[in-house]
Amino acid sequence: MATLDLDWEEVRDQLRAWREDNTRHSEEVVDTWEHCLKHYKTKLGDERWMVEEQVFVAGLDCNRLDIADPCLMALNEQFPGSLRVRKLRAMRFEALEKFDEAMEVYDNIIRQDETNSTARKRKVAVLRGQGRITDAIKELTEYLKLFMSDSEAWQELCDLYLKEGDYSKAAFCMEELILSNPHNHLFHTRYAEIKYTQGGLDNMEIARSYFCQAAKLNPGNVRALYGLFMSCTQVLSSPKLSAQKKKETQQLATWALKEVSER
Amino acid sequence: MAMVWARLAFIVGILSLFHAGYSAAQHRAYLRVTEQEYTALPTDISVQGLLSLLLAMYGILHIAGDFKEIRANVQLQNKSWETVGNRPTFYTFAHRGRALSPNYVMPPSSSPQDMVETLPS
Repeated sequence: MATLDLDWEEVRDQLRAWREDNTRHSEEVVDTWEHCLKHYKTKLGDERWMVEEQVFVAGLDCNRLDIADPCLMALNEQFPGSLRVRKLRAMRFEALEKFDEAMEVYDNIIRQDETNSTARKRKVAVLRGQGRITDAIKELTEYLKLFMSDSEAWQELCDLYLKEGDYSKAAFCMEELILSNPHNHLFHTRYAEIKYTQGGLDNMEIARSYFCQAAKLNPGNVRALYGLFMSCTQVLSSPKLSAQKKKETQQLATWALKEVSER
Repeated sequence: MAMVWARLAFIVGILSLFHAGYSAAQHRAYLRVTEQEYTALPTDISVQGLLSLLLAMYGILHIAGDFKEIRANVQLQNKSWETVGNRPTFYTFAHRGRALSPNYVMPPSSSPQDMVETLPS
């Protein structure tokens, strides 16, 4: 296992960028850690612990416990009795499919610190990992009654409802997200797609207007443009539509198709 | 290297600003002692204050780094649902990616096809 020619500082910057960007590049993190950064652990300074946590989660994701365990031991040595490290240990149980032990650890953390939101969210993840979607939904709605501005939790709830096929509740979750992030074209696109899936003339018109908004926020969003074209054609195929609206919708559809073919 | 000059510029600017302020206070005390009218600060003190302000501003701007775009939707232009819709606190590890690791152990299954495959030929 040779060390690659990568500059360890570049790797450290790359890991920091991934951390801040919130992306999930588990395999690359594990690879670069194993072949390069592991040998320069002590040079990282204060950032070392965040990197160890990142590598630990990536290792669990790729089922590389040989990478993850040393990280956990290092973190445990540095921060004994920390709730965050205990949460990581419970995540390790989850990766090994020991869901009951993981739940126990999370319950202990919550009992010790009522305001700890991450332990509650991990409980939902445990239920989701076990495939108990309805229980996960129930737990997540309880969590959202306490912490209602957590947009990540709303996203997760929307995803869970979509798994169950409950489109109206999923649309409600997306509405909450749009309320808190009105400039995000991706949320508008997703909401429009949910409305499109629900079907019916009213939902189709709502979908069309939200696709328009997404295309306005980001003209490069081809998904929104194509969705605009599809929803326009669906609206045109409905019988009860005034001639004026028909003409407008037709123009919108042709414009959207032209934009899509240009990109 | 640029950071060292920027830090130096910032420190020198702040010290020079303090110096200008102190000398202005001294000047006013002198005028009070010699019972002269106070009309305006002497030009050299005000010029020193202005220049040290500019120097300190230059230093701090280089230390602070690039500005972020003010329009909220511009930084989202190139992001896809993969990054924005990622929820790190809800990661589950019970996915098929596990099978790609070298530590993966096939679970013992009891489907009829497997039993056929394990029959001695």
